Amino acid sequence: MVTTTETKRETMSDKPKAHPPRILLAKIGLDGHDRGVKVLARSFRDAGIEVIYTGLWQTCEATMLAALQEDVDIVGVSLLSAAHLTVMPEILRIRKELDVENIPIVLGGIVPDADQPKLKEMGVAAVFNPGSPLDEIIDALRKLTAANQKPNFSDIKSGYEKRDPRALAKLITKIQRNTDLGEFKPPAGNAKIIGVTGAPGVGKSSFIAKLGRRLRDKGNKVGVVAIDPSSPITGGALLGDRLRMMAGTPDTDFFVRSLSSGGAHGALAPHCIDVIAAMDGFGFDYIVVETVGAGQSDVAIRDLVDKTVLLLMPDSGDAVQFSKAGIMEIASCFVLNKCDLAGADATQAQLVGAIGDDRPVFRVSTIRDEGVDAVAEWVASS
Amino acid sequence: MISRADTDSTTTKATQSSDKPFVDAQDIPAFDPATALGEPGSFPYTRGVHRTMYQQRLWTMRQFAGFGSAKDTNQRFKYLLAHGTSGLSTAFDLPTLMGRDGDDPLSLGEVGRCGVAISSLADMRVLFDGIKLDEVSTSMTINAPAAILLAFYIAVADEQGVSPDKLRGTLQNDILKEFHAQNEYVFPPQPSVDLVTDTIEYCTKNMPQWNTVSISGYHIREAGSSAAEELAFTLADGMAYVEQAIKRGLDVDDFAPRLSFFFDAHNDFFEEIAKLRASRRIWARVMRDRFGAKNERSLILRMHCQTAGVTLTEQQPMNNVVRVAFQALAGVLGGTNSLHTNSMDETLALPTQDAAKLALRTQQIIAHESNVTQTVDPLGGSYFIEKLTNEIEAKARAIFDQIDAMGGVLPAIDRGYFRRAIAESAHKQQKQLDAGETKIVGVTDFKEDRAPGIDILQITQKTEDDQVARLKKLKKDRDQKRHTEALTRLRDDARAGKNVMPALVNASKADATVGEMMETMKSVFGAYDGGPEW
Repeated sequence: MVTTTETKRETMSDKPKAHPPRILLAKIGLDGHDRGVKVLARSFRDAGIEVIYTGLWQTCEATMLAALQEDVDIVGVSLLSAAHLTVMPEILRIRKELDVENIPIVLGGIVPDADQPKLKEMGVAAVFNPGSPLDEIIDALRKLTAANQKPNFSDIKSGYEKRDPRALAKLITKIQRNTDLGEFKPPAGNAKIIGVTGAPGVGKSSFIAKLGRRLRDKGNKVGVVAIDPSSPITGGALLGDRLRMMAGTPDTDFFVRSLSSGGAHGALAPHCIDVIAAMDGFGFDYIVVETVGAGQSDVAIRDLVDKTVLLLMPDSGDAVQFSKAGIMEIASCFVLNKCDLAGADATQAQLVGAIGDDRPVFRVSTIRDEGVDAVAEWVASS
Repeated sequence: MISRADTDSTTTKATQSSDKPFVDAQDIPAFDPATALGEPGSFPYTRGVHRTMYQQRLWTMRQFAGFGSAKDTNQRFKYLLAHGTSGLSTAFDLPTLMGRDGDDPLSLGEVGRCGVAISSLADMRVLFDGIKLDEVSTSMTINAPAAILLAFYIAVADEQGVSPDKLRGTLQNDILKEFHAQNEYVFPPQPSVDLVTDTIEYCTKNMPQWNTVSISGYHIREAGSSAAEELAFTLADGMAYVEQAIKRGLDVDDFAPRLSFFFDAHNDFFEEIAKLRASRRIWARVMRDRFGAKNERSLILRMHCQTAGVTLTEQQPMNNVVRVAFQALAGVLGGTNSLHTNSMDETLALPTQDAAKLALRTQQIIAHESNVTQTVDPLGGSYFIEKLTNEIEAKARAIFDQIDAMGGVLPAIDRGYFRRAIAESAHKQQKQLDAGETKIVGVTDFKEDRAPGIDILQITQKTEDDQVARLKKLKKDRDQKRHTEALTRLRDDARAGKNVMPALVNASKADATVGEMMETMKSVFGAYDGGPEW
């Protein structure tokens, strides 16, 4: 349950700013050759594009469901295993099934000349071969983004009321871009809102993936807001949290949305509270908010959520000081992740000593899938 | 955060300032040939691991092959053996490399495509049908499920009445570079390395002629690292395996002689030669000084090289023949012990027979016509080569210091150090290309209108359908009780921290599949999601 803040929004009469394209980059199948896709992800970020990279070993279905939830302007598929004539028809079929045919699909990889007309004919918007100049690719992406049909807001509102996840995805985009929503306010919901914070590299996303799955297994609808830093100079961002949350069967009631921090303070994103409110009104039972890798003084998450989970890892004393002030103070519970690594016992002892009260400390290893049940129970009961 | 050493691939490029467009004695001021080079075949082996090198014995021309079903590849093996090959080199398909069966949903469209599909002992039996395993040496390019494929090999040999100590061959078995670059990992880093150590221990005790790990820089370089990073990361991985095996209680001189290395032969001609020379010098000193090795065979770094697939272009594919020739020559002048030359059509598909033959002919022309084999390390003592060799060694040592400061290779993986460094280098190279600072003939310059494509190899869907049908039958017909017991024993041994090799051989004989054994071990070791990415 959250209350929205009164923020001054741009009015409709303000000249709309060109927003950076949002692109989902996907590797599908077992092939692990990811040099190309990672070089592109970095280059796109540098060109001011928001990139969501979903990582290795994805299925077509998971990829397109992610595209829907992330409300991307384009899906880019990287294929080096010569499986394009098997994979691309499947991607396009699912795009139709999910009714997101407005999202153009582009393909990068090794595609013999003879196959290119076939791909275009079936509906692939563009094919980029090894050696395609970067400027050309980025230019094509911007054109595709600009040509993308934008739904009007009344359709989004009615879709949202009907609990159409596509409408939620688009509403979040509008909120993020500070669009005037007029009189629209999402209804109050009953979600329990959990913040997950901690230093970079402690495994927040992997932990949320496991926790979210546990909550889902009990029949709850789960929403996740994952925030990653963006470049203060280009506005581009590499949103990589989702990559950890792609495991398991694609699931429409596990809604993950990646946001870029866009210069917001406190390891959060602009209008974060309004995004959470939109998700709350949509009817999730749990909403999990992942902050950017946080430091000692990043305590703003506390005001947005019901409970704050602070993640730590063995020998993380240098990253987050076990002092009682700041981020340690706002935690409702502590999760010591990566307990498969050496030094867990010592860190736990230090931690318990530093807390000095009865806030719980959980030992978890997401790699071994151990200890998450206890946290899920605590989340459900507290 | 620890900052990266200056490992910029451009800084060792064969360029000099215009003030002094050459290298001379001033650039290698403290150069002492006796300590820096030694003679060929003597410490620190900079000039080569044998006194006579190619004068007496050429490098091994080992061309990698494998496609379709076990039967298809078996026929290819027999053809090669009939034409004088004594060493087989097996390429597996993507499902096998990832430890999945042909009927796994993620295997869709991949069975038999980029190598041979092996899901069970039954397939392995067909792969080596009619081939006496005590008469050939077999190389298997496999990593996460390497221990399982080794178990299959031992089991097939057993059926032929050949004991493990008679088996000769090489397992790539280098899981660390999978975490850095190639992404064919399954278990988390520590249990993955424990599994490699199981194979080292098992082979040291039972298979003394078997090369246990081929520690690979190739994939690191192809993923985008600089030459210095390739060298440093590979040797650091080698040190990590040595440390783990010593920790297991093995004597360094018992297992170290069976470790070998695998490097990329890339475009920057002199830098590549320097890299290969430096690798031998560093390894010899590390093994002697850091690990106290006494056996000379523990000190020498034996290597295989492959030309750089990543440099080949789809545009004007004939140009690739020339690229491969120069890269191969760099490998030879760097003193490689074994060489694979890529085919010109590899950016498009698996090579055709004609393209693969042309690649082999390229090696033969270097070996038999160029006369570069007539003296050992012909570039030794060149101011430029010795300067480059010193520089690349210094860079590698700076990287070792960083890795040590993080607590070693495994903690560095946990921090995402290797992946980040490689991706940043790759990105930097792309930016140089985009800015016109580097050129690619036929791509950035000297472009032509697209010519009609060359003929490429096609693989049919039938292989996959047949493999799925065979697996279905195997799973139905096998002794179910024996199969269940074998997997239970594997799980128990893994849980108890025992060497899993005997349980894997046992499970192989009980017709457990690759996918089933991997799943059983995953239930104990866990599965890895890739670690930090950016």
